[in-house]
Amino acid sequence: MTLTLFLEQIVNGIILGSMYAIMGAGLALIYGTMRILNFAHGEFYMLGGFFVFFLFAQQGLNPVPAVIIAVAGVALVAAIVQRLTVHVLLKREGWAFSTIAATLGVSIFLQNLALALWGERFQSVPYFVDGLLQVGEFRLPWQRVLIFVVAVAVMGVMAYVLRYTRFGWAVRATAQDPEAAAVVGVPAARIHTMTFALGAALAAVAAALLAPVFAVNPWMGLPLIIKAFVVVVLGGLGSFPGAIAGGFLLGIVEAVGITLTSSEWRDVIAFGMMILFLWVRPWGLFGVKER
Amino acid sequence: MLEVRGLDVKYGDVQVLWDINLTVGAGEVVAVMGPNGSGKSTILKAIIGLVRSAAGTITLDGRPIAGQPAHAMAGLGVSLVLERRRLFAQMTVLENVRMGAFHPAVRSREKERLEWVESLFPILRERRGQLAGRMSGGEQQMVAIARGLMSGPRLLMMDEPFLGLAPRIVDQIVDIIRRINGEGIAVLFNEQNVHLSFSNAHRGYLLESGRIVLEGSGLAMLEHEMVKRVYLGT
Repeated sequence: MTLTLFLEQIVNGIILGSMYAIMGAGLALIYGTMRILNFAHGEFYMLGGFFVFFLFAQQGLNPVPAVIIAVAGVALVAAIVQRLTVHVLLKREGWAFSTIAATLGVSIFLQNLALALWGERFQSVPYFVDGLLQVGEFRLPWQRVLIFVVAVAVMGVMAYVLRYTRFGWAVRATAQDPEAAAVVGVPAARIHTMTFALGAALAAVAAALLAPVFAVNPWMGLPLIIKAFVVVVLGGLGSFPGAIAGGFLLGIVEAVGITLTSSEWRDVIAFGMMILFLWVRPWGLFGVKER
Repeated sequence: MLEVRGLDVKYGDVQVLWDINLTVGAGEVVAVMGPNGSGKSTILKAIIGLVRSAAGTITLDGRPIAGQPAHAMAGLGVSLVLERRRLFAQMTVLENVRMGAFHPAVRSREKERLEWVESLFPILRERRGQLAGRMSGGEQQMVAIARGLMSGPRLLMMDEPFLGLAPRIVDQIVDIIRRINGEGIAVLFNEQNVHLSFSNAHRGYLLESGRIVLEGSGLAMLEHEMVKRVYLGT
């Protein structure tokens, strides 16, 4: 193998890693604020893919508004889902298990809804931008450059929001101590709904960007949510920066791993790394060791 | 100002408070003293709306507030410093303090209140950028009180403000309570120690197994036969 090919693999790993990071960050935000595992996260990703397919590939909308509308649409669906399920269950006892059952139910519902609406075929979405970036021997499709740029921009905006806006402060405060947050006037229920919608919107961003690469079908969310869980374990449950770091780490390790072996080993490498982390550092890269 | 009448609280099927009657007048310091598990915290949590009352009324200036969500109370002038500080550990000191002015009704006065609480606790200005979780217990208590004051409350409630603090720090917190009260803010606090409770309060209540068994002025409580016999062993 040439050095250039190896370099291309690493760059592809970083780009895919940025998508894992965004998926994981959404899951981590939701877990961080509500302490629930959102098993429907992959289906919000899938909905994002289908919305882009519908608006861009079928209706011929310009990709920029298509992606924005798709992401906003997924956020809206997620907000409604949260109000109807998680919001109700969080007030009752046994919510740790009931929310798992409920989000799993939402996941199955959305998969079958997509199946009924769009069928089981893989629907392909054209690239938003054509052509290749070429530097000497090194080649990279512009679509992948676009994925990376948008991903980094989204992470930057999210970091800014969490650090400097009232909403961000409310999210962090609620995540760290819900009672103390309530006492100073943070309406936890509203923050929960908004965070759930935001987490789903992040999944939709990833889907919108990856739709041209992977094609769209009702079960497309499954591999991604599993990777997102790996990312969240690597980064530390509920940690936003941890999920970002975990995403890139997973992307790069997968890329190096399959370069050294073959692509069938991708998931073995991912889960091998997760098991290793659970073994030696179960609180993850950025998590806090529980006493 | 604050009036609690016939308050009952249940956790599931277990009743923890029975027929609590308690008042706090404007500008008054009131202590609720009782042993561990007697339900002191629950009284404060019921007032702020973190736990629901099963019976009774809670009024603030004659207006009923029972059943209001906890996040509305900061806007009504009632603040609670939770037991064991409960800071946002991964946020900075400044962020923690500023969170105290989160409620929309008090947001506009954040700047002047920040100056005020930093003049009460000069150490907070020096430590603005430090993560709250990395501070000592006494410093954390100051951050927690400062956060509670940022909404400009008329009533500041403190759940065991002296818990786990060194005697020197306890004196500081006592002094701070005096100064807060000196600004006309009413204070309602919980404590397990008889002296700390009643020598620092205008009035006091003695709570046993979820019932108020005695009330009176701070001095009268200190001198009362029952308090002396049971809690001071004289």
